[in-house]
Amino acid sequence: MPVINEISEAKVHSFIDRAIGDVFKTMINADAVLKKGTEDAMSEPWPPLFGGSEYDKPHVVGTVGFMGDVNGLMYLYLDVPFAKQCTCRLLGLTEAELDAQKSEESVNDAVAELTNMSVGVFKNSLCDAGYPCKLTIPSILRGSSFRIVPTGSARRHIYHFDCLGHRVVTDILMKFGD
Amino acid sequence: MRHKILTVDDSKTVRIIVRKAFKSYDCEVFEASNGVEGLALAAKEMPDLILLDVTMPVMDGVEMLTKLKADPNLKGIPVMMLTAEGGRDNVLKIAKIGVRDYIVKPFKEDALLEKAGRVIDLKPIADIATKAKTIFDPATVLVVEDKPAITQQIQEGLKHTPWTIIGVSTQGEAIDFCTRTPPDIVLVSLSLPDDSAFGVFRVVRANPKSKYTPLFALVVKTETIQQQQAQTVGFTSIVTKPIDMNELEGKMAKAMNLDSSPRYYGKDGDTLLMKLPENCTQSALAESAGYMKPKFAEAVDAGINRTVIDIRPLKSLHIGIIKHLFQATQMCHDLGMQLAIVAGPGIVAECKGFEDTRGWPFFESMDDAKASFGKVQQPAQLAAT
Repeated sequence: MPVINEISEAKVHSFIDRAIGDVFKTMINADAVLKKGTEDAMSEPWPPLFGGSEYDKPHVVGTVGFMGDVNGLMYLYLDVPFAKQCTCRLLGLTEAELDAQKSEESVNDAVAELTNMSVGVFKNSLCDAGYPCKLTIPSILRGSSFRIVPTGSARRHIYHFDCLGHRVVTDILMKFGD
Repeated sequence: MRHKILTVDDSKTVRIIVRKAFKSYDCEVFEASNGVEGLALAAKEMPDLILLDVTMPVMDGVEMLTKLKADPNLKGIPVMMLTAEGGRDNVLKIAKIGVRDYIVKPFKEDALLEKAGRVIDLKPIADIATKAKTIFDPATVLVVEDKPAITQQIQEGLKHTPWTIIGVSTQGEAIDFCTRTPPDIVLVSLSLPDDSAFGVFRVVRANPKSKYTPLFALVVKTETIQQQQAQTVGFTSIVTKPIDMNELEGKMAKAMNLDSSPRYYGKDGDTLLMKLPENCTQSALAESAGYMKPKFAEAVDAGINRTVIDIRPLKSLHIGIIKHLFQATQMCHDLGMQLAIVAGPGIVAECKGFEDTRGWPFFESMDDAKASFGKVQQPAQLAAT
């Protein structure tokens, strides 16, 4: 059975680039362009070590895990205005129509589903590469200036995408060994 | 005929996207957020297609699919997976349980419609709206039956309708007729020799002009195996012999998408007319009740504030009729409409025996009823005349 160490950075890079690109293009008809990968992360880590304008914005963060021969989870960071914009595009609503309903609940559900799909495409690539695993149900984190810190045994991959003038960040944590 | 689609997904977003995708088509979309709700709704609504997610709380999609396929009543419902779980091994494992198709998220609405269209006939609503007819419009009914007495019974039982009933006795004649002039509805006897009824079914469905024509199977009540076969093949409805003509007429009107409201509601100048037929069965009451709210709303919207309920054809009352009339009087009261009820003396006498109906504003004729609107009266204050 392959072990987690066999998943190269290049493969993770390729899998997540395809996943985010596919999901945003298919579901909200927008191009998400990979700007920075883990290899550049030290120059702009996420969250930033000393804060910053992007980081301080209120965010909606979707989380979905995957379990099997590879265990891990992915956080998808969208700033609140972009999360609302994505929700409108997904549901075919104007921003006024979205605001007229239970907007926060709708945005949470939409971001959860975008995360579910993104992690789904990513983990299906892992499955097809010989690492069978299954998805968990999504959850949502909202707030600003919070910091997610992985445990020492997890490998971390952070990627920055630009989409419709907004920054989208994926933070993937994968656990070594079994 | 409206197709029923059940979407089972814990994401409200996906359920909304599915609903949106099918909104331009003649479909009714039901929603469930997990496998338990999905199974319950499937048993209740018997959908024509289930769109099923895999990862869900309470009961996941694989468990729901397994239970569905183990239930003799539900196993025939086509299931299409709509899920982010798309690894080769997962897809193969789920496909083995029995699914019609597999869509991996993310998905385009077009792809969903294209794949769903392979399972059910998706008809755009716009096409149906242009064909909308009422029960007073002519229609052609083809009866394929080798027992002349049955054809005659149907012709006799529907002679009060504007429908033309054409009787043929063989598969060949039926196919010839359908090729020349596609009928609005076809009734086929399953007792035709050599399973000809199923041959007629296939030919009618294969012809683009009659692809959506409702097909009823006529079958003896005790022939349960034939009835099951007809259901499996996809006949629009099963009509058992001996035939209940009232029931058949109602089913035919519904299958042909005919507006039957003129049977119960109409307008006479500035007055809304509501009427009940002599044979006021439960299905007639249900039909009338279904139109009540929109018809009253439509009348009020058009500036009408007077209602006459004509129940002269009724010979006696039962609790269903009383409840229905009570609902109508209550609606008049709530909408501030003036009300008059025209009824025969027997019905008036019966109503006087009940506290709730004693005060209803009865009149002997339409003229008397309309004349009463000149006086300022409220329904609850009027005494029976």
